[in-house]
Amino acid sequence: MKPFKTRILLALCTVLGGLTALGAGARRAEAYPQFQFSSGTQRCAQCHYSPVGFGLLTSWGRDESADTISAYGGDGGFLNSKVTLPASLALGGDVRYAGIDNDVGGQGAPELATFPMQAELYARYALGETGLSIYAAAGIRGATRDVNGSAWSHVTSFISREHYIMWKKSATGYYARVGRFYAPYGLRLAEHVYFVRRYSGFNLYEETYNASGGYLAENWELHVTAFTSLPNSAPDFLGSVGMLPNGAAVYYERRFSTVGLLGGQARVAVNSEQRLTQGGLVGKVWVDGARMLAMGELDFQRRDLAKGNIGYNQSISYASMNFFPVKGLMAALVWERYQEDLRTISTARTAFDLEINLFPIAHVEVMFFGRYQYSGAGGADGDVGSLGMLQLHYYL
Amino acid sequence: MKGKTKGKMKGQEVGQETSRRGWSKEGSAALVLLAVVAAGACAAGCGSQEDDRPATWEYISTAIIQPNCATANCHSNLAQSSGVQLDRINRGYDALISRYFVIPGHPEDSSLMLLLNGRGSRRMPPDFPLAQQDIDLIAQWITNGAAR
Repeated sequence: MKPFKTRILLALCTVLGGLTALGAGARRAEAYPQFQFSSGTQRCAQCHYSPVGFGLLTSWGRDESADTISAYGGDGGFLNSKVTLPASLALGGDVRYAGIDNDVGGQGAPELATFPMQAELYARYALGETGLSIYAAAGIRGATRDVNGSAWSHVTSFISREHYIMWKKSATGYYARVGRFYAPYGLRLAEHVYFVRRYSGFNLYEETYNASGGYLAENWELHVTAFTSLPNSAPDFLGSVGMLPNGAAVYYERRFSTVGLLGGQARVAVNSEQRLTQGGLVGKVWVDGARMLAMGELDFQRRDLAKGNIGYNQSISYASMNFFPVKGLMAALVWERYQEDLRTISTARTAFDLEINLFPIAHVEVMFFGRYQYSGAGGADGDVGSLGMLQLHYYL
Repeated sequence: MKGKTKGKMKGQEVGQETSRRGWSKEGSAALVLLAVVAAGACAAGCGSQEDDRPATWEYISTAIIQPNCATANCHSNLAQSSGVQLDRINRGYDALISRYFVIPGHPEDSSLMLLLNGRGSRRMPPDFPLAQQDIDLIAQWITNGAAR
């Protein structure tokens, strides 16, 4: 007979799984850059098939999710290892359900909503020992807000945000991939509300079609990507909704043993109306004694408009302290700033966030996100907002 | 348990140093990160209180409307929430004018202003209010005739 604590956790797992199974709505590829260094793993590609992290977990990543990340361990394998897959095939998926309490001022009451956040499946098939693999993710695109009042109104369409062919012969060394995915640039935080995702031009569902390559070494990695758009005749579920579909990006990361990293990135993206030129830095420091990962990103970007000879500069900043006091708990304090035009400080947005992630047992996550935000100097009625979100997550 | 030999495997796989972490390295890395954050803080503090931005649709569309309103699940080309698409300069202009969200010369009669101020309806954008200076700039553009 299982211990009482285990039975409670299994019951919780079942309830969460049932709740999340009610929902649907693809939202994001999973990425927890907070786990780099803090979990004892230095390279994102150790836990993910993608060379830059997020998406389907490797067998190593699945073991880590149970043994290192989750409070009470468990079996991180696909369907708790109840199903044995061929070595060449990897499957996975994510389902999330969330509730929010959102207040942006004005005369309306704070918005209360529950909604399906993500329902997405992943598959990767390796072609023998060639180093070639095919990867695809597919799910339902959901929405936070009621679209037409029907029971399924939050489920709006089918979408595949990632599908690519990759050549990657070994854990380190050269790689190349072609298809749709997020062109490596900066921190790819799981929550798309973070400013470095929200205001940098390539957020949720805005993954581009890329030809990318790079090199993964023990202490550094380099990723170079060129991207473009599909023709308008392509089916909607394949298309990117990005506003700037053509361009190129480069990301370089230098790691300092198990202590931290410094990264640099640049990107140029264009459409017929404007050009966005971006550059920035990423830093992480793991302080072992405090079990704290400090993480930051700073980006400057310039928008040049084709008409009217208009150009202006913007900045996006992110800094966080991520604490791992006990196994299964991650708590982050975050400061963010976005300045939409560096000429005018009154248009800046500032946010202070608290994010708490609980990983009770493999496959299960409960997340709380709280935000206090303001525009300009803050304080004026209507310029201040807040967001609270509770999220239940189950991964296959 | 699958992870019994993990510590050894991890070290073998990534070839990382296994010696004790040195405070000097942590300190150096921390300084670098602090420099990054400090630079960000400085950047965040840039700019003056004066607002000399152009009250033109090209500027308003790319600096204010597109980043805040044309996100994937809102007024993008994919979602087109409420049938409104704001992800391009010209398309956004056509949507606002043809559906009378903007009445040139009359910000007080333009429903766009009611939405941005949250008067009589849910405030837009629903996840982060625009800065008052942004709302004022849009009102100025409408007052000036809302030219394309």
